[in-house]
Amino acid sequence: MTARQLRWWSWIHKWSSLICTIFALLLCLTGLPLIFHEELGPNPAIDEVAEPGVRASVDTMIAEALAERPGEVVPYLFYDREKPIVKIPTAASMTSAPDTFFYKVFDVRTGKALSADQPNEGFIYVMLRLHADLFAGIKGTLFLGSMGLLLTVSILSGMVLYGPFARRLKFGEIRKRHSNRLRWLDLHNLLGIITLAWFGIVTLTGVINTLAAPIELMWQSNQLLDMAAQNRGQAQGDRKAPVDLVLANVRAAVPGMTVTTLAFPGSPFSTPTHYAAFLTGDTPLTSRILKPAIIDAASGEVVAVRDMPWYATALFVSQPLHFGDYGGLPLKIIWAVLDIVTIVILASGLYLWLARWRTSRTAAADMRAAATEFAR
Amino acid sequence: MTSRRTLWLIPALLALVTLLGLLAALIGESGIWWPLSWATLAVPCVCSLYYLVRGLMPPPQ
Repeated sequence: MTARQLRWWSWIHKWSSLICTIFALLLCLTGLPLIFHEELGPNPAIDEVAEPGVRASVDTMIAEALAERPGEVVPYLFYDREKPIVKIPTAASMTSAPDTFFYKVFDVRTGKALSADQPNEGFIYVMLRLHADLFAGIKGTLFLGSMGLLLTVSILSGMVLYGPFARRLKFGEIRKRHSNRLRWLDLHNLLGIITLAWFGIVTLTGVINTLAAPIELMWQSNQLLDMAAQNRGQAQGDRKAPVDLVLANVRAAVPGMTVTTLAFPGSPFSTPTHYAAFLTGDTPLTSRILKPAIIDAASGEVVAVRDMPWYATALFVSQPLHFGDYGGLPLKIIWAVLDIVTIVILASGLYLWLARWRTSRTAAADMRAAATEFAR
Repeated sequence: MTSRRTLWLIPALLALVTLLGLLAALIGESGIWWPLSWATLAVPCVCSLYYLVRGLMPPPQ
């Protein structure tokens, strides 16, 4: 690498890092408790039952949820991936923002209401909003996405600079005798190159996650309407098929898959005359990839089932790789340790810039003082 | 001076091991997949902690 190229890459690394470091630090700090959101978040106690395969009526659960919140509607059903529970939110309207939902949690086997904290309040919720959108909605999400892109540039430029900086050192060598700055420069480079692949993947998948809203919008405007159009022309009315019938028809139409979400007619993920069910497989990968099924709201018949388009699949695959919640507790612990190491890398990068800036300012002041002295 | 091959050998191996670990837990949760993922991802984890602790220790007199 020529001296000019080295200066250019150093400039890229310095400015891409400086702009995004504070936000990257915030993301790493808020991401740390989020790794353990399942352990720290609302966790209802589940009873042991004699027949675990039995399913209670979902319509009865919905009626119970609505009786508690008169005048509200149920826009979705959310099934838990691990536990036999279903979360039934109620809201002022079918298109209300999710942070206004009131959740009632039920045991799917017994239909019994379970006591659980609301998922849209408390410590984990605050961490999630800070991590996902800085409490600023889609604008905040896209802003954090742009910071993630800068971080990706910083990681790539850091990798390019590792070669020229480390070529005089053995792998793992840290110069401790000269100065604190040199010690931290070596540590910053070394920890950066060790965690490069993990940090790069987590950053890139985080950027993809920030595109969730535009991806959902694309799916709604292309695929959802296209699927629903398959039964256009049939008589529609206000009559709605029972949810239990809808779920039974979906399970029969797509055997071997599990319903994770049901969007009710009129909600953003369905149409005014259709239910939309989202199903998943049972491996760590397929349990993240949603398969939509569109159901006629009046008859409860399944109208269409199809795979998600590639851009939505890319989003689903990127989610576990960002969250680190797909390999049990040991993987979460590894994720947390690597997250802490990343915090050290970011903080040391900031320290290195500050130390250099202070040194150059001191040197400039010394030169000015020497020049003044010389002039006398 | 370290040759280019030696310079990039360990970082490349670490990146490969990390990618293997990230993919292993995605492929399956039964059999060897999860333990394989834990074992491979523990490599960058342990290396980072080892060098961090070593780097923070005072230089030998």
